[in-house]
Amino acid sequence: MDSKSSACSSPNPNPTLGPSKLMLAFRFLRALSLVRRTTPASSRTCRGRRIERAAYASMAYTAGASRAWSRAVLRRLHHRARRRAVAPRRLSTTAGNRAEALRRLVPGGGGMDYCTLLEETADYIKCLSMQVELMQGIVDSASSYGP
Amino acid sequence: MQHGSREVRGGMAASALHDDHGPQQIQNPGLHDDFFDQMLSGLPSAWPDLGNPKSPWDASAAQKLFRIDLAGKPPDESQPEAATEGLRYASYDEATMLASRLSQSQGSGGSSPTGEAMMLQLNNHHILPAVGLSRTAVGGGVGESGLLPLPLTLGSCGAADPRIIVETPRDEMDPPFESPDHNGGEELYNGLGGSIRAAQPGTGQHFHHPQQGASMSSQNYGGAAAPAGVGQGPAASASSGGGTPPQKQKVRARRGQATDPHSIAERLRRERIAERMKALQELVPNGNKTDKASMLDEIIDYVKFLQLQVKVLSMSRLGGAAAVAPLVADVSTEGPGGRAGANGAAAGGNNDSLRATEHRVAKMMEEDMGSAMQYLQGKGLCLMPISLASAISSAACRPSAGGLVPAPPAPPTSAAAAAAESPAASSSASALTVQSAAADATAPKR
Repeated sequence: MDSKSSACSSPNPNPTLGPSKLMLAFRFLRALSLVRRTTPASSRTCRGRRIERAAYASMAYTAGASRAWSRAVLRRLHHRARRRAVAPRRLSTTAGNRAEALRRLVPGGGGMDYCTLLEETADYIKCLSMQVELMQGIVDSASSYGP
Repeated sequence: MQHGSREVRGGMAASALHDDHGPQQIQNPGLHDDFFDQMLSGLPSAWPDLGNPKSPWDASAAQKLFRIDLAGKPPDESQPEAATEGLRYASYDEATMLASRLSQSQGSGGSSPTGEAMMLQLNNHHILPAVGLSRTAVGGGVGESGLLPLPLTLGSCGAADPRIIVETPRDEMDPPFESPDHNGGEELYNGLGGSIRAAQPGTGQHFHHPQQGASMSSQNYGGAAAPAGVGQGPAASASSGGGTPPQKQKVRARRGQATDPHSIAERLRRERIAERMKALQELVPNGNKTDKASMLDEIIDYVKFLQLQVKVLSMSRLGGAAAVAPLVADVSTEGPGGRAGANGAAAGGNNDSLRATEHRVAKMMEEDMGSAMQYLQGKGLCLMPISLASAISSAACRPSAGGLVPAPPAPPTSAAAAAAESPAASSSASALTVQSAAADATAPKR
């Protein structure tokens, strides 16, 4: 999505405290409005996927370039934007190799040692849970408008 | 200490016993064989008593020498005594020459006291490697004669020297000195002899380098203290077997303290992984699993769950189209840096007439509900069902002179949502019209 790539990646104001919720909310809502503006109303699934990509993009930009997973996410997004290929991968945990399954889940987890993988997983979980919280909050506030 | 002297005596006795065992006769303390003469002729410095085969080389003299060093005197102190015995070396090079001569006289077998006396002197000069080498040469020479008991005792005799004379850090050298005597003494000896010859012009460092073709025990000679190599010294001797177990225990104790760089790195890595796992435990709900594998499973499941939640929430957002707009407008005004959208909307129609606003909003609603909502919000307006609008207007009673009724945040949003949910744009338009009509005290219903 070219529209998403236009979002500027401002440096994280407080790197030690981790990604900030306000920045995430700002980025995501901006991206969300962009999506809603640009996509035709008829294609619902398309919009859903775009919103999901917007969510990951805002997560990655908020986390900054200092994280390996955020770099991998942005790389994947930019490549997908060029190639227009969306291929969701089905992930399965084999009882044998859990580290491998974790590597598949966390973006960019393939090329790092186990120690770094655990660190990235922790940060990824933090960002993911913040994103989910935000989206849930939006949906909740939206649904409260209902009769 | 007594042990050393006992060994010496035993060595002497054995040599006497084995005198007739082979062509190579072991010298008794008398030492009047051709080898000894060779040695004496090669001595640069004066060994007055050595010229006399009998004098310093009897057991008593040797014992005295041993006892001197057994008492723990520094080598320098024992030197005067040795000097009186006539055992004095001028320089290290002379010692190497002597050692080479020892190796040369392999066939005749070395005389133990000679070798030991030389070793004493060498030790006095702190040339430990030469000691070992010379002793090995002696031992090798003797060993190859096939008289095993003698080499054994010789070995132990020799072991007494470094243990006693060199004292503290050489404790570990006991077994190495014992072991190599019997193990193919020849090749060891040859290797050492070759290296000795090669090292002749050099300094002591040459002895420290591991010799080519030499076994591990020679390396022990070369090194200052090689506890690791000790236990691995060529086996096959009872004395060495007795010596190695205490050696191995020392090695094990050291390794248990994790001085090995690999184990230290491993420990650091494990500690870091444990730290990260603890941090993850706090993040993941139900992360009180003690088992690492189940903890990893929990982490994986939680990541999968979060990713699924993102997907589901992004899909569900499709329905509440207009609901997001007010929020977006709010955030845009409050967000850092402000929003062009809100500003544009605000600047858009503050002073326009109501009708123009209506038309404008109606047009915007056809394009995009969100921007229309944004526009209204910027103006402080909202959409509401007509029924509600009429109810409010009747409750408000007095129509204000001009302007629009500013809508309180909570009901207007629900009204907007309700209006948005109505399929026809006209009804929402009529709601707006109603509102403006209510403000104007007119009710143009469509």
